[in-house]
Amino acid sequence: MKEVMIKCTNVNKEFRLRGNIIRALVDINLEIYTGEFIFIQGPTGCGKTTLLNVMSGLDVPDEGSIILDGEDIARASEDRLGAIRRQKVGFVFQDFNLIENLTGIENVEALLWPTVLRSKEIEDRAIQALRAVDMLERKDHFPRDMSGGERQRIGIARAIVHQPRVLFADEPTGNLDPAAAKMVFDLLKTLNKEMGTTMIVVTHDASLTKYGDRTIKMDRGRIVA
Amino acid sequence: MANFRLFKKSVMMAMRSRKRFSTFVLMYTGLIIWMSASLENAGTITKAGWMFWIAIIISIILSILYAFVITQARRMEIATMKCIGYQNSEVRVIILGEIIWVTIVAFFIVSELLIHLTSIIAYINYDYVHNLMGNFKPAISFGNLTFVVILFLMAQIVGISIAYKRVLKLRPIIALRVMK
Repeated sequence: MKEVMIKCTNVNKEFRLRGNIIRALVDINLEIYTGEFIFIQGPTGCGKTTLLNVMSGLDVPDEGSIILDGEDIARASEDRLGAIRRQKVGFVFQDFNLIENLTGIENVEALLWPTVLRSKEIEDRAIQALRAVDMLERKDHFPRDMSGGERQRIGIARAIVHQPRVLFADEPTGNLDPAAAKMVFDLLKTLNKEMGTTMIVVTHDASLTKYGDRTIKMDRGRIVA
Repeated sequence: MANFRLFKKSVMMAMRSRKRFSTFVLMYTGLIIWMSASLENAGTITKAGWMFWIAIIISIILSILYAFVITQARRMEIATMKCIGYQNSEVRVIILGEIIWVTIVAFFIVSELLIHLTSIIAYINYDYVHNLMGNFKPAISFGNLTFVVILFLMAQIVGISIAYKRVLKLRPIIALRVMK
């Protein structure tokens, strides 16, 4: 029997924008199992990024519960959410969000700096992660010297360096050309198979969903399929 | 150990932002000299004149400005760090690290300048200094310099408290969105 990694129950979230209430998530109920490669797909503004953010602990829902690896994160404190993100969650951003003053390997190590691990072990883990994304030869270069695809691979290395249980990716190829996008998705699929990491990827591009085990379709804040 | 590592990394990142780092080191150096000289001329803090107190006020304003500049310039870094799991206390170490390091570097620059100035005066005017050995003293005493630097560091707390609330109070993804 498959283990449930994430369970959302009656999740709702609203935003206030210039006096208007926008219902970003409406009665979301879903389960994601360990090791799955899930796509969340839908048109722009349908709530998929908001769903990703609340499932990963970057934001909190207004109502409902979200059980991530056995823990309800919907009511967790900010510090507890930070600890969960560091221990169990990896996040890949559309805009890469690398720290420009840090080299490739330092960007990957940064996630582990606040931990009690020794510096040598942090370095070893970072090298392992960079090797997994085939970016070891660029480890001492700064992000400004890298292409978009290379930056995103560094971003993926940072997201997996602590061997998370689940990896969230918000339009990871949104700023990449088709060749680089294919490389990134091939990499994510390989990591999903080899490491068994649960992958949850947001995309508006239906053609990419062939990489996944299952696609959750959203429209106007609701899951429609 | 983790906090000390974060402090070292913060220093490393600060020194890579050469323009901002060197600008504020120079400003702090000038201000420390001004405050120390005012205190040296007065003798004690209770007798310090208006110039000393104006320097204190300027140092508080400058520290607030610097803390604000750091949190503005590094807002994307800070928001990203929060997104990847840094807690508020750890982000504070990152910000504090740069501010404290700039103050320490300015202190060492001023100390070096005073040591060399004193040595040069003593060397050039050896006979004069030799006759006055009992009365010879450096332009600014080490005690006054250290006291002024401690006051400086305390002034930073005001700046830090005001400036980083803007980033640390926000949820990570909102901080990232706001900063873009």
